[in-house]
Amino acid sequence: MISEQENLLALSLNIGRGLLENGAETYRVEESIGRIMTAYGMEQAEVFAIPTCIIASVSRDGQTLTRVERITQRRTNLDRISRLNNLSREICDRKYSTSVIKAELNKIMSQQAYPFWLQTAGFVLVAAAFTIMFGGDFRAALAAALCGLVTKPVIELLQRYQTNVFFANIIGGAVIAAVALAASRLGLSGQVDLIIIGTLMNLVPGVAITNSMRDIIAGDLVAGLTKLTEALIIGTAIAIGTGFTFSIVGYLL
Amino acid sequence: MTAELILKLAGGVPAAFAACLGFGIVFNLRGKTLVFASIGGALGWLVYLLASGFAGDLQRYLLATVAITIYAEIMARVQKTPVTAYLVVSLLPLVPGGGIYYTMRYFVSGDTGMFIETGLHTLAIAGALAAGILPVSSLVRLYGQFKKHRLAVN
Repeated sequence: MISEQENLLALSLNIGRGLLENGAETYRVEESIGRIMTAYGMEQAEVFAIPTCIIASVSRDGQTLTRVERITQRRTNLDRISRLNNLSREICDRKYSTSVIKAELNKIMSQQAYPFWLQTAGFVLVAAAFTIMFGGDFRAALAAALCGLVTKPVIELLQRYQTNVFFANIIGGAVIAAVALAASRLGLSGQVDLIIIGTLMNLVPGVAITNSMRDIIAGDLVAGLTKLTEALIIGTAIAIGTGFTFSIVGYLL
Repeated sequence: MTAELILKLAGGVPAAFAACLGFGIVFNLRGKTLVFASIGGALGWLVYLLASGFAGDLQRYLLATVAITIYAEIMARVQKTPVTAYLVVSLLPLVPGGGIYYTMRYFVSGDTGMFIETGLHTLAIAGALAAGILPVSSLVRLYGQFKKHRLAVN
């Protein structure tokens, strides 16, 4: 088989990797790769994606090409998902050449996210807003905002050094509980539980567990179970983190 | 409507909007999508709170999710962006993040009874959300296929 098709398979898997690494659903990844490969004349395109891996196998004239991509890092960047999705649609419609696809893909992947200060502002807003939604008063929201302001740089630092998710969330949970307890000691607000859970909404994998149930109901059993496991592991890490702070403070005071 | 509910609406709905806006920024949503997704979040929370009068716990989650999914499918078509961008952010006030946290806290502290009770409730909420999303998006898909098929026949 000519190398053009190998190139195409590699590129479509790169698009799939970009989708998956930025938080797209596995069925979207499978569909995108499958559609591109069929649009370019493959007789059969079988794609299997779970949050940690993509396997694609295409065949034409009795010959088969297969490629595997391992995914180790995941975060959420919805703008990138949206752009990659549009790109894969355009590829199917207009049959771009591989060099054009490569250039477009590079353009999307090099696009910067919001600056750090704005992301911190978002983090703080989430903490304060959820504290109010859970029934906290204005002072509790203020304490949660402070809590978010301290936690975001810590999380960012841990991510930059590529610590594993489990450890990063233990530290995140511990820091949040520590700041919330300190805020209540200083008399800012007595609603410690609400401050902690409000700020924790930034870390807890609520979307992951919902998507995992969606995958399981839709029949993507392995993908769903993978996500469910990830959600439970992150939940455990956060619980260990906050528990750690509580027991140390309880011991000291 | 009771005074308590009005108070909850007045505080909760703008807070849900703000929470979605914050998450939208963290998740790198841009421009109009960011604003419309946050409106979806406020809409979902509004339905969730209003449904407290006649629906049970899980049914409220289901109803709010159905409302959000319909809104997201419409907005995705109007704005030509994937549904996910709206769904992920608008559903955030409903997703059982707190549930997972409390479940695992009971697990770590060794309270097995509460661990199982909270854990099952959390899974049930996640299931209710999934059960709200899937029928709506399946119907939309079915309608799309139906239209395409009709075009092909004519």
